[in-house]
Amino acid sequence: MALVLPSRWPVLGRAASWQAHRAGWFAATLLTAFLAAHGPASAADAPAAGQAEDIVQLLTRIQQAARKQDYAGVFMYQQGDMIQSSRLVHVVDGTGERERLEILDGQPREYLRHNEDVQCLIPERKTVLLERRRGDRFPGLLLGDPAHLSEHYKIRAESALHRVAGRECRLITIEPLDKLRYGYRLCADVETNLLLKAQTLNAARGVVEQVSFSSLRLGSDVDPQALSSHWNTRDWKVLEAAMKNVDLAAQGWRIPAPKGFKPIMQVSRAMKRGSPVSQMVLSDGLAAISVFIEPYDSQRDHQPPHGAAQRGAINVYGTRIADFWLTAVGEVPAATLEQLAQATEYVPPAPAAAAPAEGGAK
Amino acid sequence: MQTAAKSVEIAESSWEESVSAWMDGEDSDDIFPSLLSKEGRQTWDTYHLIGDSLRNADLALTPSAAFQARLARALDAELPIVAAPRRRSPLRMGLSGLAVAAAVATVAWVAQPYVTGTPATEVRVLADASLSASASASDDSGLRDYLEAHRQMAGPSAVRQVSFEVGAGR
Repeated sequence: MALVLPSRWPVLGRAASWQAHRAGWFAATLLTAFLAAHGPASAADAPAAGQAEDIVQLLTRIQQAARKQDYAGVFMYQQGDMIQSSRLVHVVDGTGERERLEILDGQPREYLRHNEDVQCLIPERKTVLLERRRGDRFPGLLLGDPAHLSEHYKIRAESALHRVAGRECRLITIEPLDKLRYGYRLCADVETNLLLKAQTLNAARGVVEQVSFSSLRLGSDVDPQALSSHWNTRDWKVLEAAMKNVDLAAQGWRIPAPKGFKPIMQVSRAMKRGSPVSQMVLSDGLAAISVFIEPYDSQRDHQPPHGAAQRGAINVYGTRIADFWLTAVGEVPAATLEQLAQATEYVPPAPAAAAPAEGGAK
Repeated sequence: MQTAAKSVEIAESSWEESVSAWMDGEDSDDIFPSLLSKEGRQTWDTYHLIGDSLRNADLALTPSAAFQARLARALDAELPIVAAPRRRSPLRMGLSGLAVAAAVATVAWVAQPYVTGTPATEVRVLADASLSASASASDDSGLRDYLEAHRQMAGPSAVRQVSFEVGAGR
């Protein structure tokens, strides 16, 4: 039954009717509990607005679950014909969050996180790269402020329950209200609200990429010993990813954020080939766009491509503006990036504009 | 009053104006030493670009409505400059207009048009991220660092990938 419908979520074949019956009962119970808990609050608003708020709260609870619970498991990321498995251990102790992420396919990589400090272990180079920045990733969900999500997405929770990694989960469909962003289909654990599966959908509702737990342990079943790495990094080289905050607007950049997107980070970072690159990250709460700006160098042999390109689920758009190269990168439709790049303006700030005149006066 | 305004204009116009005048076939010596500097070459290129754009509308971009509004506001706010009458070619008139705009609002640069055989909207699919070490090492699209830098901050599908390269200085 489940095999002939490969595009569907896995459903218990034998126990399908039992499942459906139980799912209905479960949903009804949940709905009642929901209404009881939020009745007074939503009574003041319009019913639709109240519902949207509840959904936003649900997404916030998914985010909190990823940060505040203990879990360990293996998840798979699939994009096109590529599949990659990772083992994840997440434990909250007296000092905060500790996390170990081990990539199981291809070259070995390990990411050890303690709150906002991340050590990336690169065994074949005997290198530890330090990052000091929290970046929420699977099973984390939200990037920015979720309050305005319902202005750009239609979010609804399905009543039927699904099953992922041996656990029952509630399906949440997030449809974009315009063509600037992708849609999402999430499945969150009924008991703990932990995100078990996430799919990114394009306008034709095709799956652009997906990530899903294939096995999962929760709470006291998680062994904190699993947090320690097998690699002995004592004599490894330690590099720090240098990043400093910048203000691109003050530098003369007018980057028009696509509707609903807001800048959430502006940094200058060292990239592989020499000069520092400025990066602005824009988010609508779910999707993210990075805008990279660097001095244009015609001598460079590895120029990022001009125009639109696609790399897996990520779209890229590169263009030259004055003596700079702009690269827009994001899990959003290609047209969104092209619009952004074409509408970006660089107005050199006053001191820089005066410099050529001084040179001429000499 | 008039003389004060005039002297201001002359002081501001100096070298760039001389380049412009030389391009119009007027006598302007002593622009050549300055052309050797980086700024000089930049000015040279910029003025040629301006000239080309004025002669051929196809090369020019239409500025956004926001830019035009800002420019109009800035021009409105600018004090009137009383200039002495001078013989001017149509090209020079255009340049002077631009020069005023540059002095007032400075130049807004926008994305350069993408000239190629294929339409810019066509999406070229580069090699998909591959799990094999050789494939990721031979990725010469120059995109790897950008994708990784983006993934550090991306949302629900932000999954660490193998294709990570040490991006920080070495």
